[in-house]
Amino acid sequence: MSKALARRSPAQIGSAALLCAIALVWTTPFLWMVVAAFRLESGGSRDMASLLPPLQPTLENFALAFESADFAVYYLNTLLVVGGILAVQLVTISLAGYAFARLDFAGKDVLFTLFLLQLMLVPPILIVPNLTTVVRLGIYDSLLGVMAPYLASAFGTFLMRQTFKTIPRDYEEAALLDGARWWEVLWHVLLPLARPGLVAFSIVSVAAHWNEFLWPLMVVNAPEKRTLTVGLASFAAGAEGGQEWGLLAAGTLLVALPLVVAFLAFQRQFIDSFMFSGVKG
Amino acid sequence: MTRMIGTRMIGTRMIGATATALAIALLAGSASAATKIEFFFPVPVEGKLAREMGDIAKRFNAAQSDVEVVAVYTGNYDETKIKAQAAMQAGKPPAVALVSANFVLEFKLNDQIVPLDPFLAAEGTTKDQFLADFWPALHGNATVDGKLYAIPYQNSTPLLYYNADLFKAAGLDPEKPPQNWAQLIDYASKLTKKDGEQRWGLMMPSEYEYLGWLVSAFTMANGGTYYNQSYGGEVYYDAPSTLGALRFFDDAVHKYGFMPEGVTDQKAVSTSFFAGNAAMVILSTGTLSFVRENAKFAYKVAFVPGNLRNAAPIGGGSLVTFKNLPEDQRKAAWTFMKWLTTPQQLASWSRFTGYFAPRKSAYELPEMKAFTAQNPDALIALDQLQRYGQPWFATFNTVAVRKAMEDEVQAVLSGKKKPEAAVKDAQRKADEIMLPYVQSTALTVGTGG
Amino acid sequence: MAAVSAAAGHQAAGRWRQSLTALQARPYLLLLPSLVFLVLFTFFPIIEVTWASLFRTAYGQHSGSFVGLDNYQRVLQDGAFRNAFFNNVFYAVGTIVPSLVIALFLALLLNDSSRFKAAIRALVFLPTLIPLVAAAALFSFIFLPGIGLLDHYLAKLGLRGFNWLGDPDIALASLSVLTVWKNAGYYMLFYLAGLQAIPSDLGEAAKLDGASAWQRLRYVTLPLLAPTTGFVAVIALINVITAVDHIVVLTKGGPNGATNLLLYYIYQNANEFYDAGKASAATVISVALLLALSLLGLKGLERGAGRDE
Repeated sequence: MSKALARRSPAQIGSAALLCAIALVWTTPFLWMVVAAFRLESGGSRDMASLLPPLQPTLENFALAFESADFAVYYLNTLLVVGGILAVQLVTISLAGYAFARLDFAGKDVLFTLFLLQLMLVPPILIVPNLTTVVRLGIYDSLLGVMAPYLASAFGTFLMRQTFKTIPRDYEEAALLDGARWWEVLWHVLLPLARPGLVAFSIVSVAAHWNEFLWPLMVVNAPEKRTLTVGLASFAAGAEGGQEWGLLAAGTLLVALPLVVAFLAFQRQFIDSFMFSGVKG
Repeated sequence: MTRMIGTRMIGTRMIGATATALAIALLAGSASAATKIEFFFPVPVEGKLAREMGDIAKRFNAAQSDVEVVAVYTGNYDETKIKAQAAMQAGKPPAVALVSANFVLEFKLNDQIVPLDPFLAAEGTTKDQFLADFWPALHGNATVDGKLYAIPYQNSTPLLYYNADLFKAAGLDPEKPPQNWAQLIDYASKLTKKDGEQRWGLMMPSEYEYLGWLVSAFTMANGGTYYNQSYGGEVYYDAPSTLGALRFFDDAVHKYGFMPEGVTDQKAVSTSFFAGNAAMVILSTGTLSFVRENAKFAYKVAFVPGNLRNAAPIGGGSLVTFKNLPEDQRKAAWTFMKWLTTPQQLASWSRFTGYFAPRKSAYELPEMKAFTAQNPDALIALDQLQRYGQPWFATFNTVAVRKAMEDEVQAVLSGKKKPEAAVKDAQRKADEIMLPYVQSTALTVGTGG
Repeated sequence: MAAVSAAAGHQAAGRWRQSLTALQARPYLLLLPSLVFLVLFTFFPIIEVTWASLFRTAYGQHSGSFVGLDNYQRVLQDGAFRNAFFNNVFYAVGTIVPSLVIALFLALLLNDSSRFKAAIRALVFLPTLIPLVAAAALFSFIFLPGIGLLDHYLAKLGLRGFNWLGDPDIALASLSVLTVWKNAGYYMLFYLAGLQAIPSDLGEAAKLDGASAWQRLRYVTLPLLAPTTGFVAVIALINVITAVDHIVVLTKGGPNGATNLLLYYIYQNANEFYDAGKASAATVISVALLLALSLLGLKGLERGAGRDE
């Protein structure tokens, strides 16, 4: 260890120290969340900010959290929303991405620009008219209503277009010469080769919609249709009481946990996916 | 420790109640013939109350077979209003909603709720007979233009909470809380500590929604009425009584320094109180149970000190029923509202939450008498309501008009504005917001000029 | 031989004809599923909100009457709108610039595959994965005056008396800190990707020419990262205009409007003040703004994409 250190230049040691400091600052909120979630302390005390692990860890805060909110239902709804959006998106973006990457047609540029518009006009900014549309379509107060505005994705279309473009045409042409139809080419040749793009988009999409708040808050009323973020907000925004910080920390932990665990398990995949979406995007 | 036991007891009680409700529901057989209605409710205090409200609905469903209530937890008061209005636009209004008591006027002005007088008439009673059992301070927000539009369900007023240990340490008698503004200033200054562990003499919530309520409380304590209680188009922001209240806020921060500068929300206030960083706090009586469970020191409660008089505007929520409901739902809504506001139900909810029961007779019940004997602080809060209760600020477009003042007071608390300019600007903004209503009501006659 | 090639030619021509007819309908059919949703939830809403911005419902009436550009005039004259606009400009600059600088800095330091650096990358990226609402919940404690995480440790350094979210002078800056914490790790990944796409021989060549590390960064790396910066800036811009979850949870636009942003202003006018006309006009203005600004960034984006082809 000391030998290894000695071999490094002061600049390297300096930058390592700096990185450690940044990492520390970046992790502190999480550290507090974990410590506070397992500490029995609700209303407030002077050392509530302590980051030392509690001597007697307790699950009381989690018990309270489960008593206050139907987390099982929230998890299920979030999974349904995230999964439902992704399933439809994969179809819509593959088809549209293929069209833009491989086919020539009148109005291609105009249509592509129209698609790109949605990159900027994400549903939250159109919350007022979108809510009216959802009501009109009769999908207000339903999970479908939460999903609907996201079923097409300009970002995904763009990503798939770029991914398809990196695949040499030789593969398809060979397949076409063998008498394959275009959808067979798409399904058997292009999509398998575009796997990195699909995986990358999937991870980015899941992360984005897992975290969505304002839109589901507006669309859904019934408690059995609430998603995790909407459930959590009610923890953090009590009106006439005091804040139970332990409960807040436990609730936040429960909401953040699944993605964080998935990330720690498939770190490479996550990082690569987000990076991939950047290279191609 | 106490809170652990408390939680466990509540837990056991709830499991018991749920099991009973389930058993009864099973015995009662299918509820297919029942009219299904939705009940929107906010829970402003804590998550576990949402669960309790769900159980209350279950008990109601089990107790009779005509109506089946689906209780829908809709966040806080503001969100509940937004949700109810969105549901109305979508053509499926909830049958019953528990709304902030000062939104009743707005719902009525927007023609969204219906008067309850016909229901009373059908039962051979009148509004006055019905309201006689409710605390007088609650009548104002429940009636509009002489008609009953809402039934009070859970109510609160501001209350002074103080740390008796810190009183003693500062040489003050914990049995003699401050009675008026002069004493409040004196006590708060003595309780403030600037060196070492910082401590504030007085803290109160100053975020949107809470602040407007407290400004009205201080204005009323200063002899004012703050708004026209019988007309939704007038507020008295630019008035001496209001200016005096704002001066109190300004001096507390910038002259005497016993209150922190800037905005502190109720989380910060309650947490500071529990941590011993605030010696006195003004919070809702709705926080009483929470304080009881979490204070690790001897806390006491007292009336909010007055200047020219004592005054405590009410807060909390009332039950309303909406327009355009099918006939069977309309009737079912009334059945449920009536059941929810029986003295027994109100008393049990009051014990669970710390809110007042709005009916006088609720306090005559043996279980309530036992409870108040054990928790005399609940009686102090009730006493304040009976003697000094005032109606709650409500106008056309209440939230916007309230915010017009809140923004200005927040500027004063942050040292950005002087009270004199603040009340003028608040008045101007509020008048602008209320203009459409004023034009279509008070100015419709003789608008020739 | 000739027969074979003739047959092949015939076959090819047949396929050509067949694909020609298919060519006319197929692209549109492929785009149809996406277009349905884009029309429903992007294009139609824009038309609808623009239309709605020309009407105003007077008190006591159930439908609006045509008022021309009156709503726009009311919005532009509304101090609260101007305030929200300038707040958003400040918030955009105050989050995008530091986020990008930190992201670039981290990417430059972390651009190799040692275990240590992978771990740091993961930690810095972590906030990206938690909901903004959850981040806001955590920061409600961090920013708690006197007792919260920040003040607790600052007090040990002898610093106190801050009111992070309650002082109108610093509330928006505090929210910017939250935003930078949440997003810098995300943007870092784009820079890492950008760096990996730069051929290493370019740097080597510059090194041989005697360029210092700073010169290599300034004249080789940064210009090559320009498309990445353009892309990240667009993403960050969209983010600062469309993400207001933390405002809903933490400040509701206060104190005294100090943290009110455009989208929250729209939300407020639509839901709290019942002013659909104003909300619609403000939406149209925000959309126009977003489009105009993004166009600049998009140029960079197309350039970046062109590089791949």
